[in-house]
Amino acid sequence: MNIISCFKVVPDEQDITIKPNRDISFEKAPMTISAYDLNCIEAGAQLAEAFEGNLIGVSIGAKKIDDSKLKKNVLSRGPESILMVADDFLEDLDTYQTANALKAAIQKVGEFDLILCGEGSADLYAQQVGAQLGQLLNVPVINSVNKIALMEGKVIVERSLEDEVETIEIPLPAVISVTSDINLPRIPSMKQILAAGKKSATILSALDVGIGDFGATLQVIETKAPEQKERKKDIIQGDSDEAIKSFITKINKVLK
Amino acid sequence: MSDDRFDAIIVGGGIAGTVTAYLLAKEGLEVMLVERGNYSGSKNVTGGRIYSHSLEKIIPDFAQEAPVERKITREKISLMTDDSNVTIDFSSTRLGQQGSDSYSVLRGAFDQWLAGKAEDAGVQMVTGIRVDNLIVREGKVCGIVAGEDEMEANITILADGVNSLLAQKLGYRGELSPHQVAVGVKEIIELPSEVIDDRFNCKDGEGTSWLFAGTPSAGKVGGGFIYTNKASISLGVVCTLCELIKANKTIPQMLEDFKSHPSIEPLLKGGKMIEYSGHLVPEGGLHMVPKIIGDGVLIVGDAAGFCINLGYAVRGMDFAVGSAECAARAVLKAKETKNYSAEFLQCYQSFLDDSFVMKDLKHYKNFPHFLEETPRIFDGYPGMAADMMTDLFVVTGNPPQSMTRMMMKHVKQIGLLNIAKDGWKGVRSL
Amino acid sequence: MKVFVFTEKVKSLLELCQGARQIGERVEAIIIQSQDNQDNGAADKVWSIPMQDGVMLEDYTETLAALLEREKPDLLLIEPSKRCKLIAGRLAAIFETSVMTDLIELTKEGEGRHLVYGGAAIRKEKSNNSLSIATVGPGVLQGTGEAGKGETEIFPFVEPSNKMKVINIVQKTKSSVDLPNAKRVVGVGRGIAKEEDLGMIRELAEVIDAEVGCSRPIAEAERWMPKETYIGVSGLMLSPEVYVAIGISGQVQHTVGMNRSKVVIAINKDKNAAIFGQADYGIVGDLYKVVPALVDQLK
Ligand SMILES: Cc1cc2nc3c(=O)[nH]c(=O)nc-3n(C[C@H](O)[C@H](O)[C@H](O)COP(=O)(O)OP(=O)(O)OC[C@H]3O[C@@H](n4cnc5c(N)ncnc54)[C@H](O)[C@@H]3O)c2cc1C
Ligand SMILES: Cc1cc2nc3c(=O)[nH]c(=O)nc-3n(C[C@H](O)[C@H](O)[C@H](O)COP(=O)(O)OP(=O)(O)OC[C@H]3O[C@@H](n4cnc5c(N)ncnc54)[C@H](O)[C@@H]3O)c2cc1C
Ligand SMILES: Nc1ncnc2c1ncn2[C@@H]1O[C@H](COP(=O)(O)O)[C@@H](O)[C@H]1O
Repeated sequence: MNIISCFKVVPDEQDITIKPNRDISFEKAPMTISAYDLNCIEAGAQLAEAFEGNLIGVSIGAKKIDDSKLKKNVLSRGPESILMVADDFLEDLDTYQTANALKAAIQKVGEFDLILCGEGSADLYAQQVGAQLGQLLNVPVINSVNKIALMEGKVIVERSLEDEVETIEIPLPAVISVTSDINLPRIPSMKQILAAGKKSATILSALDVGIGDFGATLQVIETKAPEQKERKKDIIQGDSDEAIKSFITKINKVLK
Repeated sequence: MSDDRFDAIIVGGGIAGTVTAYLLAKEGLEVMLVERGNYSGSKNVTGGRIYSHSLEKIIPDFAQEAPVERKITREKISLMTDDSNVTIDFSSTRLGQQGSDSYSVLRGAFDQWLAGKAEDAGVQMVTGIRVDNLIVREGKVCGIVAGEDEMEANITILADGVNSLLAQKLGYRGELSPHQVAVGVKEIIELPSEVIDDRFNCKDGEGTSWLFAGTPSAGKVGGGFIYTNKASISLGVVCTLCELIKANKTIPQMLEDFKSHPSIEPLLKGGKMIEYSGHLVPEGGLHMVPKIIGDGVLIVGDAAGFCINLGYAVRGMDFAVGSAECAARAVLKAKETKNYSAEFLQCYQSFLDDSFVMKDLKHYKNFPHFLEETPRIFDGYPGMAADMMTDLFVVTGNPPQSMTRMMMKHVKQIGLLNIAKDGWKGVRSL
Repeated sequence: MKVFVFTEKVKSLLELCQGARQIGERVEAIIIQSQDNQDNGAADKVWSIPMQDGVMLEDYTETLAALLEREKPDLLLIEPSKRCKLIAGRLAAIFETSVMTDLIELTKEGEGRHLVYGGAAIRKEKSNNSLSIATVGPGVLQGTGEAGKGETEIFPFVEPSNKMKVINIVQKTKSSVDLPNAKRVVGVGRGIAKEEDLGMIRELAEVIDAEVGCSRPIAEAERWMPKETYIGVSGLMLSPEVYVAIGISGQVQHTVGMNRSKVVIAINKDKNAAIFGQADYGIVGDLYKVVPALVDQLK
């Protein structure tokens, strides 16, 4: 059983700063695993552990995604190995480009039974790459999955949609995007972290996987922080009885 | 080496732990370092200045490569009251000369750099894991316990900081008493580097260390500090715990008041606070040093109490490096003879005795007590200095008095004898 | 510009067709239909795909692709539901393009705007492809009631290459609160220590005639409130008259969901909490002291 968990490496959103001209800056933001892909890796790890499968983590991006701490972090969460296509040529891809690059990378892995994606990437949150990847590989693809039961040659999954919960059977191989509800990502233990240091990571260039001409399908016109609405910022310090009283006087006007 | 065994396990990825691990790995030992923060430096607090002499020996020219902030070339000391501030300003090329140079640092970046060095040297770094306990068999420390996992080593080195719970669990020391620790709070305030150059009168890449006695710690034993970084300043207040109980102000309030002091506020104008932290400072000096050697275990850095608090300045990072070096030497020796008994490891103590660590700690042996017994330094002298300066510089139109008369008036308030006594005591405590 | 519209729910189809009129001269709707000819007044033409027994919506993707291939619209607007996003993604792969997802604005020129980096920024982008695909929520394109010709043509079903088997469908019980339309909303965050403390928050909401929403961790990590009630980039986007944030730190992923509120009031014990930078009124204090006092005195 070969399982692949796709994870995106993104700048840690907590450290994204906004410049006075409303441009956003990643200067202080270290690269980290996209939040929901922790669920995707965990889902892969649980299935691989239960079925003696082999789990590979796959990621696409600029050279800077090839970071030793980050790789160790991923490997301490279950995957046996990592395959990265890390090339500055692959910076800021749109979802079609990403899905194509993933397809190329996955073809290097060879045979696979199940590919897992997260619900959405922390930067784009397009919720698209899984769907596109499945289509490009011409295998069944499903999203919004919060339970997976793996069987011989097929999976039975539970999907949580807006108005209904649906159970479906899908033949393998398939691509499945999982929700953040599917599990609680593990906090790696000391031994898991130590073991991660001994696992392998393969880093390839775009050329290695045969991605050449690669036009963007979307043209980004600008990316700016939203304009902040002016607020009064009338903040009272402290919660003494008087402070609360004067707070109440103030908000009473609004609430009346 | 089997999978479950290391030559050395180091607990704590601060400066002391990382340097120990680095030195051992460099000599080919299998070393694991466990840090509970998500990365080295994530939980560490320092005022901001490292004296380079210690680390220079280990990583020559480290300042060229390490993410240091500014080289300190200007020293200021102030006696501060609520509304005034008397400052001694010392700048000298001698401050920046190799061997006596010092640098402002931010631990987040600095410790990560050190950790990177250690990792490159072959240290197995395990971050985000807290060591809960030690494996002890017949009085010998055999390794560590973290969550469900255990890991054994020939020697375990505790570098887990001022509040070393592991040393407590071993019974090497008791709980910290309020006389042994001070509390420090600190903010990092972001400002453009040109603004810092201007406001602190520094050249590009050079910086100021500025220490304050008096108001910052509400007249109690302690003080305030400012260190200039590249594009931020570190500013904080340190106050002895037992004094804090007597003070009528909380520490965060002291920091707020310090920041809004008329001579500080303009320096911070337009700055943005980007980090706030609080931490304990060991300050018992030599009196506080616990048992630091046992069968299969050594203690280094703050965990061993290797830190001095002069009230207005704290010095611990160079002791962390110095003790790490001594510990590493002892472990290497122990490895040669395969003897990790407490008896053999006594060589750690002799290395320490011969190094600046013990020499300086001895030198300042009585200093903490001098401070606690001489509150005038913090609540009397700043006022006296301010009053003297007021008389000198505030022109009211009243007929001037002779300088000596003017000054003696203030001196008398505290008492010449007291001043002399304090001076004498102070000198003797050194 | 020729715009095609496809939705999961009939109700959204009308809205989205009306919106599409703001963008293109010609609007054509695609529906999956068991009985033929259901009038869709807002479209110029309705493409009706005969409904197949036991085939899930997603398995009509190939049929949609065949239709789009033949009719070559400039733009396909799709409802941003989970099913539709999957369909959109697959279509985009077939047409070698990417979907502009969850647009908050779309111009006649085909420029779409959507949130990125968890709401920290808004990206403006445009498709390089001859077919643009966008998912747009109801209400983004304000349409009028202008009617189209509404002629209908049947388009035959195309057998999908990978069919999935639906085993079971259970309807979810919907929570009764209507946060998007509430005039006042109290948002509660991790500042509360236990589920029972929601009681006092609800009391306050009742006193000031507000509905209760929450930050994501309260719904997803703690599960103290239903998932449909969390506010923010991956939850609800609200613009009530008054929003009261209680024990919420004010991270951007949350605040993009409430920063269009007319008045924002914040209660937080940390004076450095980001929420105060986005509040009109605030108090730096313990919610366990402030909230009961508010309940008491606003009654
Ligand atoms: C406000 C303030 C100002 C100061 N100013 C200066 C100054 O200007 N110059 C100077 O030289 N010194 C200064 N010091 C002192 C100096 O910061 C310390 O002496 C120095 O940090 C000690 O280093 P250390 O490695 O021993 O301990 P620490 O830096 O405290 O590192 C201990 C590490 O152990 C980890 N740890 C703890 N327990 C565990 C566990 N159970 N499992 C795993 N990991 C654990 C911690 O997370 C931490 O990273 C100042 C201190 C303070 C608080
Ligand atoms: C891709 C992505 C999407 C996300 N989408 C969303 C989203 O749509 N919506 C959302 O909300 N979040 C979202 N998040 C999570 C978001 O980043 C924050 O983690 C979350 O909003 C924080 O919730 P909080 O403010 O309730 O909790 P915290 O950040 O933990 O804040 C709790 C606050 O309560 C205060 N407090 C504590 N005790 C008291 C007391 N006794 N009295 C007063 N105040 C007290 C504290 O000072 C603190 O400010 C998303 C994250 C990611 C990565
Ligand atoms: N660059 C990438 N490398 C690997 N996986 C990715 C990448 N981008 C997106 N994914 C996967 O696709 C999912 C959806 O991403 P998105 O469509 O960008 O919201 C993510 O949760 C990942 O599992």
